[in-house]
Amino acid sequence: MKCASIAFEVSLAALFVLAGPALTRADNRRVDYNREIRPILSNFCYKCHGPDENERKAGLRLDTLEGALVMLETGFAAIVPGKSGESELFNRILSQDPAEQMPPPSLGKSLTPAQIDLIKRWIDEGATIRGHWSFTAPTRPAPPPAQPTGQVVNPIDQFVLARLEQEGLKPSPEADRVALVRRLTFDLTGLPPTLTEVDAFLADGDANAYEKLVDRLLTSTRYGEHQARHWLDAARYGDTHGLHLDNERSLWLYREWVINAFNRNLSFDQFTIEQLAGDLLPEATTEQKIATGFNRCNVTTGEGGSIDEEVLVRYAVDRVETTSTVWMGLTLGCSVCHDHKYDPFTQKEFYQFYAFFNSFAENAMDGNIAGPPPIMKVPTPQQTTQLQSLDQQLAVARQKIVDELARVEYVEPPATEGISADEPREFVWIDDELPPGAKPQGDTPWEFVGKADRPVFHGEKASTRTALGLSQHFFTDANPVLRVGEGDRLFAYVYLDPAKPPQEIMLQWNDGSWEHRAVWGEDVIPWGAANSPSRFPMGALPEAGGWVRLEVECAKVGLNPGATLNGWAFTQHGGTVYWDKAGIVTRTPQAGATFESQLAWEAYEKVQSKSAVPGPVLEAVKLEADKRGEGQQKLLRDYFLEKVCGKTRPVFDPLHQQLAELDKQRAAADGAIPITMVAAEMPARRDAFLLVRGQYDKKGDKVLPGVPAALPALPQGAAADRLGLARWLVDPSHPLTARVTVNRLWQQFFGTGIVKTAEDFGSQGQWPTHPELLDWLATEFQQSGWNVKHILKLIVMSGTYRQSSKVTPDQVQRDPENLLLARGPRFRLDAEVIRDSALLMGGLLVEQLGGRSVKPYQPDGLWEAVGFVGSNTSTFKRDDGDALYRRSLYTFWKRTSPPPSLLTFDAPSRETCTVRRARTNTPLQALVLLNDPQYVEAARKLAERVLTPAGQTAGERAAFAFRVAVSRLPTSDELAVLLRVYHSELAEFQSDRDAARKLLSYGDAKRNEALDTADLAAWTMVANLILNLDETVTKE
Amino acid sequence: MHPASEHVQLETRRYFFGKAACGIGTAALASIVNPKLFADAPLFADTPGTTVPPELATFGELPILHHAPKAKRVIWLFMADAPSQLDLYDHKPNLVDFYDKDLPDSVRQGQRITTMTSGQTRLPVAPSVFKFAQHGQSGAWISELLPNIASIVDDLAIVKTVNTEAINHDPAITYIQTGSQIPGRPSAGAWLSYGIGCPNRDLPAYVVLHSRLPAGAQPQALFSRLWGSGFIPTKHQGVALRSAGDPVLYLSNPPGVSNSRRRTMLDGLGELNQKKLAEVGDPEINARIAQYEMAYRMQSSVPELTNISNETKETLEMYGPQVTEPGTYAYNCLLARRLAERDVRFIQVFLRGWDHHGNLPPSIKALTGQADQPTAALIKDLKQRDMLKDTLVVWGGEFGRTVYSQGALTKETYGRDHHPRNFTMWMAGGGVKGGVVHGETDDFSYNVIDKPVHIHDLNATILHCLGLDHERLTYRYQGRDFRLTDIHGKVVKEILA
Repeated sequence: MKCASIAFEVSLAALFVLAGPALTRADNRRVDYNREIRPILSNFCYKCHGPDENERKAGLRLDTLEGALVMLETGFAAIVPGKSGESELFNRILSQDPAEQMPPPSLGKSLTPAQIDLIKRWIDEGATIRGHWSFTAPTRPAPPPAQPTGQVVNPIDQFVLARLEQEGLKPSPEADRVALVRRLTFDLTGLPPTLTEVDAFLADGDANAYEKLVDRLLTSTRYGEHQARHWLDAARYGDTHGLHLDNERSLWLYREWVINAFNRNLSFDQFTIEQLAGDLLPEATTEQKIATGFNRCNVTTGEGGSIDEEVLVRYAVDRVETTSTVWMGLTLGCSVCHDHKYDPFTQKEFYQFYAFFNSFAENAMDGNIAGPPPIMKVPTPQQTTQLQSLDQQLAVARQKIVDELARVEYVEPPATEGISADEPREFVWIDDELPPGAKPQGDTPWEFVGKADRPVFHGEKASTRTALGLSQHFFTDANPVLRVGEGDRLFAYVYLDPAKPPQEIMLQWNDGSWEHRAVWGEDVIPWGAANSPSRFPMGALPEAGGWVRLEVECAKVGLNPGATLNGWAFTQHGGTVYWDKAGIVTRTPQAGATFESQLAWEAYEKVQSKSAVPGPVLEAVKLEADKRGEGQQKLLRDYFLEKVCGKTRPVFDPLHQQLAELDKQRAAADGAIPITMVAAEMPARRDAFLLVRGQYDKKGDKVLPGVPAALPALPQGAAADRLGLARWLVDPSHPLTARVTVNRLWQQFFGTGIVKTAEDFGSQGQWPTHPELLDWLATEFQQSGWNVKHILKLIVMSGTYRQSSKVTPDQVQRDPENLLLARGPRFRLDAEVIRDSALLMGGLLVEQLGGRSVKPYQPDGLWEAVGFVGSNTSTFKRDDGDALYRRSLYTFWKRTSPPPSLLTFDAPSRETCTVRRARTNTPLQALVLLNDPQYVEAARKLAERVLTPAGQTAGERAAFAFRVAVSRLPTSDELAVLLRVYHSELAEFQSDRDAARKLLSYGDAKRNEALDTADLAAWTMVANLILNLDETVTKE
Repeated sequence: MHPASEHVQLETRRYFFGKAACGIGTAALASIVNPKLFADAPLFADTPGTTVPPELATFGELPILHHAPKAKRVIWLFMADAPSQLDLYDHKPNLVDFYDKDLPDSVRQGQRITTMTSGQTRLPVAPSVFKFAQHGQSGAWISELLPNIASIVDDLAIVKTVNTEAINHDPAITYIQTGSQIPGRPSAGAWLSYGIGCPNRDLPAYVVLHSRLPAGAQPQALFSRLWGSGFIPTKHQGVALRSAGDPVLYLSNPPGVSNSRRRTMLDGLGELNQKKLAEVGDPEINARIAQYEMAYRMQSSVPELTNISNETKETLEMYGPQVTEPGTYAYNCLLARRLAERDVRFIQVFLRGWDHHGNLPPSIKALTGQADQPTAALIKDLKQRDMLKDTLVVWGGEFGRTVYSQGALTKETYGRDHHPRNFTMWMAGGGVKGGVVHGETDDFSYNVIDKPVHIHDLNATILHCLGLDHERLTYRYQGRDFRLTDIHGKVVKEILA
């Protein structure tokens, strides 16, 4: 089927479908199957008589000619070409018998008389059935001859004017020059023109002044930002993972890539390939890998308890849906559970397509981290230099250690000098004083008593405590720490007052945690888990009235070799208790001392069951000395000297310190390098299966990557992987990619695509208003080398685009949505454009291309209201300074609570792919523009701009503010209204300067203190009015 | 053509809280500003001159209700994070004998469990530590944790067999709210805003209230998609009324701007927009003018709504001591009643914090201590105002909790993991029977043994009470007529009055 061949008919009959009953249909035309009949069959019949084999009823299939003509069990054929009266389909439609009637009453929808008439005529005219128009590659139609009316600048106009001519509609005259410069600047840059730009255009008398303006705007970097913003909706870009904790993710380099791609006018085929499969390109560049972030924009989860397999299926399905919607305008997602109801795609084909996206080297759980792998680090040149320098310094520092080791002459000291490896010794940590650094604490302070009148075991003093219930004294932060080795025992001496014995006593140690307890006596101290290292039972209370030595094996209370203690607690329940001399029985050097003898150290390490000494060194230690190789001997010696030996500490400790400092710096520098999520394939492809009813655990047949049979095959030589898929999408034979893309671009300018359902080019999608124009643009796009700027320029250069958007009652009546384009586009600006414009008008906009996302004003409590406590986006902390005034595409997009003022103006949540935003009109929007500090502040700063040139009249000032916002001067009527508001507000603020000051301090931007408060406040209200004008927030 | 498919077009000709405004003139505008002018007998462009019976009138995109409604509005008390049915409603006296015994394989039947407990070596049965007693004429069993709800049990239709497939919070709560586990579909309230709208043009059709939690609570996250509009126009998304700051975002004038100054400015704005309309003729400007007038009216109607100073002492006492603190669950229950009085169509009060994986008994007690009294008070309050008959109240979470303990089990304490296979919800008022217990679960509250109610069935039933056939409230997107209940859902007729 060739679209061009049917397009002539389309132009008339489409009116019937699209433009409402006010437009009449030329009745002598043949009914067109694809345009008029297929949508009816698709909507009413395909559900049971369409492509889905499993749902098919009565063996009747109506989307193919063979299927429609087949003789049914009832003995009739659904369709007998030329004879509606003999066609069962038609008779069933007419039937009043609920058992016979089609569509069945249970479907809940019925045909209109006009639809029934169409079906009758179509059958009577021979009932031709063809494939759906969009599945056949476009051929280039010749533009129709130029019409006498309207301005023909390029072929676009020839198509549009021909259609208008048929409708008997007249195009509108060209918009005035102010309207043109404003419309064009909005459309190409997402911002209004400045007054200087307006004036320059008005002053340019050249015949090609408009074209020069187009060219200038297309080279502005604002152009890329504006185009990127549209694309990021489709790519479902966000700054958080989107599910469960919704933690922050790092993908903004991808956003930056998109902006740059548009600004350098990367051809759309390359744009496609790099995003879908840049990682698979031979010798892929950093940029090409960043581009693959497109595939990672889907929402992900890290929710505990999730089942990996299920989650991975969802990711792959999302990628299929996004890719098919963005490039093909297809709803492949409909085939997750069953064959497509309307379009010729089977469930198996869905899973073949899915297989392209089933082998990403990623984890199901995002781990709630900013960069779930695969990721790429992308250092700036400065960061690269800094890292190189640090690496060099590190190498030097390490070499110094090596040099010093070579220089040391070590002589094993006589055996007596070292600490014996065999004989544990008692080391006293607490006696008359606490160890160095210890911070004494307790429910009451420590109390030391002397031997004059109290029991003391050792030295001059003992600590004591008398308690009614649970009571303790303890310390933390001792330094040097007490070091635990193999087989060590902790000890303390205790004296229980026989007059007042406690119920229970407890010793407790801190190695970072206090979960190491030993208890004697009744079970009344409530801490720790019974019979565990956190509460180890030592038996009955020691005998009262005398000093008793308590000893606890370190292992019993969970203190293993290598543990270091900084705290000790003495606890009791009731009674009076004295404590004295406490410490450890150990072989480990204490009090900061270390081994001076290598042999002693080796003997010590040999018996430790756990050690911090690195594996190879430990291995050498455990060998008999004569079994060690030369390398091992050196290794031992060097390790001992560098890390252990007391004598060499003064040499190596400073070197280690320096090394540690450099390591820290390097880690910090490394951590500052931006990371970005990228795509990568698993080493071996993960098998893909048809999933029965779409359920992850109901695997059907295994499938291999492949494309639907209704579309062209993969190009010659293309591999069946993502790269092959991307090449297939931009192959000239592909019927959809170019059409879908130019349609989306068209939609940006006219508000509605040539195919209104930009997201659905299938059977259920809307018929194109100008099919030939769509195909002409699609082929032009391909022939231009997928040149986006070329297409945009064609659109904005057209006479169609340049028409005035004023509308007559007749036009409203006949074509309320302006589908036929008898006038220029007029519609409310997008959320981001409205905000960016206000910032520009207030002189606040901070233009800086790319970078991390920013958090401008947002009412308090929004994130908190939904956030999970453990999420790193559960509290909103707004940025300061420049970050408040960046373009909105840089605003931090938390997907479970998107920026409220943008959301109110129909910005999507970016959880799923969006290729067409709604455009609604709500009072909540009015509240944003009236009261959001961002807009009040912009009004305030616009007011300052108004007042800054001295000596102007109020009229001149009002006119200036008005013109900043809408690019034109106010009429005298309009000016009168502005002045009336100004004077009224001024009088009120003059009588209430406090109110004026309050208004002027709203928002962070400093106010110009030189200006009169009442005057500035009054102008702020006028500016607030102007920023709220319909004309200000509308492109026209 | 089906009304929904007409609607697929972008919303350039429509506006918030209103009907199609194509070519709207001054008279029509006046009727928007003063909706009562045609509230009783709306006319429809596609059936010119037809009058809809008042009881079937809608204020949304559906031309007419599918059947006479029993409920005019819904208040859904959403217990987010999933309360334990075993400790509140689903009494299982025999479990005492199974204390610390493994959940029998014959009960589990190999069903999947979350990866939070799938690694446990044992799944020991944890009977509830709370006492249950029978209440009311119906004799329904209610836990001692809910003494106030126990007192209104004869007004409730308790459904013990609600079930879902989702096993984790995010997908499960998205599922019950939107009919799909995956983000992107409209929420139930958005469906209603779109389909039948709200007779009150000064307030949104769908209002969401978030409840503040006791200090130290660790609730799961919520997501704006839960009250979002998915692929239908954003004007239908729920508006979250906030307890601190402006109840509606950006409602208050900036500091220093009085109402009269705002009025002066708005008068000027309206005048200039009128001039623009006269010049360019775009009817969209009419909608813009109306939009600003509505915003101005909201600036007084919303504060009036949230000002509870005219509530009687008796009423306030009924809701409990926290009722005067904005943001508490008690305050939100009262606000829900006030919203219902103002004919807001769909009101959802979210209370989070029921995710008791460990140490359940004291934690759930703390929460029911806050939630029990206001919940019962809301029912009683609606009843005494004769509003319960046409207000449907729904109580419940996104799934249930397991009979086996997550983590250590002792006689005093235990935790419970997620359990999607059955959980308890209740409905009361408009359209449902009181004093009914629907469905039965096995001795372990692990499987449904009688009358399962899938969450799609629940949503279908709610729509039914509002006069809607859940199969016919559709919206065409990407070529498919979507609905809240996807391709499922059966109305639970047994509980209908």
